[in-house]
Amino acid sequence: MASATTAPAAVTPPVPAPRRAPGTLRRLVREPVAAAALLLAILLVLAAVLAPVLAPTDPFDNDLGSAMAVPGTPGLLLGADAQGRDMITRLLFGLRITFIIGIASVLLGGFVGALVGFAAAFYRRVDGLLMRLMDVLLSFPAILFGLALAAIFGPGIPAVVLALSVATVPLMARIVRGAALVVMRQDYIEAARATGMGDARLMLRHVAPNCLSPMFVFATLRFGQVILLGSALSFLGLGAQPPMAELGAMAAEGRNFLFFAPHIAVLPCALIFVLVLSFNLLGDALRDALDPRLRV
Amino acid sequence: MTPLLEVAGLAKHYPVKQGVIRQREVGTVRAVDGVSFSVMRGETLALVGESGCGKSTTARLALRLIEPSAGSIRFDGQDVTKVTGGAMRALRRRMQIVFQDPYASLNPRLTVGDAIAEPMVVHGIGNDRSRQDRVQELLELVGLRPFHATRYPHEFSGGQRQRIGIARALAVEPDLVVCDEPVSALDVSIQAQVVNLMKDLQARLGLSYLFIAHDLAVVKHMADRVAVMYLGAIMEMGSKAELFANPRHPYTRALLAAIPHPDPSRRGRVTPLGGDVPSPMAVPAGCRFHTRCPFAQARCREEVPLLREVAPGQQAACHFSESLPDAGLDYSGGLTPAATTRLALYDRARQRAGVGS
Repeated sequence: MASATTAPAAVTPPVPAPRRAPGTLRRLVREPVAAAALLLAILLVLAAVLAPVLAPTDPFDNDLGSAMAVPGTPGLLLGADAQGRDMITRLLFGLRITFIIGIASVLLGGFVGALVGFAAAFYRRVDGLLMRLMDVLLSFPAILFGLALAAIFGPGIPAVVLALSVATVPLMARIVRGAALVVMRQDYIEAARATGMGDARLMLRHVAPNCLSPMFVFATLRFGQVILLGSALSFLGLGAQPPMAELGAMAAEGRNFLFFAPHIAVLPCALIFVLVLSFNLLGDALRDALDPRLRV
Repeated sequence: MTPLLEVAGLAKHYPVKQGVIRQREVGTVRAVDGVSFSVMRGETLALVGESGCGKSTTARLALRLIEPSAGSIRFDGQDVTKVTGGAMRALRRRMQIVFQDPYASLNPRLTVGDAIAEPMVVHGIGNDRSRQDRVQELLELVGLRPFHATRYPHEFSGGQRQRIGIARALAVEPDLVVCDEPVSALDVSIQAQVVNLMKDLQARLGLSYLFIAHDLAVVKHMADRVAVMYLGAIMEMGSKAELFANPRHPYTRALLAAIPHPDPSRRGRVTPLGGDVPSPMAVPAGCRFHTRCPFAQARCREEVPLLREVAPGQQAACHFSESLPDAGLDYSGGLTPAATTRLALYDRARQRAGVGS
């Protein structure tokens, strides 16, 4: 069979140097915007983690003499709030709590939601039941969950995280189910089944990785939404309780003094903005970097 | 010799439901409607037919990727429809599939090496090291380079991807490979390479192929025996040489006559089939081909013709298979002797040039 033995040589001419595509991290850093977002996110995480070390004062130390001190006042670089607490300290500790709320609710709600979504796509028998259940959850606003959970557990961070997680579950479930249904229809899923692999392996190795892009996009978008919702809950008095510092609660407090001391509200809002922006950009870049199809 | 794969009375009926809350069954799509055939060891059985005639469904049924509504599938003497759990996994190792669309049949997130090694991992064959060696070996077997293992599917062309798909199917050393239109998504020059590769592999590894195709030229090159399907049933089955030289069923004749031939003298003598394939939801009574058959008679509308032996090794499902008028067409190939000689000359010249460079 002369044609068969000559054919391979025709398809693959000798390639002298097989060049390996760069790794995920390297590709992430190569993009300037992504690199900046990554740097900013790392700085913010460090600031939140090291808050007790970095903060110049105790977050609850108040000095009414310097109440509403403007930024630039000697010893108070970013000024002080209405109780005369150092804004830098408050922002660092506030960032910490806000971070915990954002990450914990997105991770928890996203994880449960993804499980539900995969289950619905994979086991078509329970699809109707699961998704109608999600529709029911979807019909309650997050604020209402917050109210209910605050009534049960008492207001505080756990109630906020739980409420926001529950509100995230149906959204993630829908996105994952849709993505998984598309993937499940691909030939490579059937090929994998034909090898005789079990459901768990099929799901983890073939279905889930191909659903990552929409999951990432949603998780990063949701991170921003959740922080704002958490702030709203704190604002309603259901979340962080005074004197605890939380960016949303600080913004709410500062709104009373918007005309006399705008920095009290503006600084936490600006920090929320930077936080949400950096994580959105990072999530976007990460999604691209994790997709082998976009490797160049 | 017992056949490797023996399928009898295989059927797949899909219920058609209507209504939002209380779903009523309003009909049945008879995708595959009582198909029987067998594949011997080392043999290629081609299933041919128009789009939607149930070829691919039959292939997936044979592998039990979908559950049959009726019928039996025996693989090496074992009834596949009754096997469960670990025994089914063991069987899956021995039958693999190559898909039509090389762009959809490889997971874009897995490197080629991982994709080829995966069936071995699933069946617990070897360790990481030995699997890697095997991947290199398989890549070379299908005409790719060992370093391609670290690349992703999107870095390859359609023909190369199909080779990867073949390598994946061969990783667990199967006895039977079901090829679901493996070359119909590739362009013609690549088709030839892949088809030759598959033939070569069959000779070297003793594979049996169930080869699904609608391109009769490819079938003619690949198959030992051919089964012609129409609307979920086999119309004619026989050895390739017999079937192409002397088709005994009007549908097979129509299919063969539809192959374009560079022969002006045929002009006007070929009447293409009129009409469309009837819906598999409403299969015609009697012979399912009678609505389009130029030779249909009253009996064809009432009595279902059985697949029966009409010549040694050739079966046809037609009441009048023996009395069909001779169409006066040469089905076996359209080229004049002069043209054939010329082509052979070109071929030799190309080979000489290939050696010289």
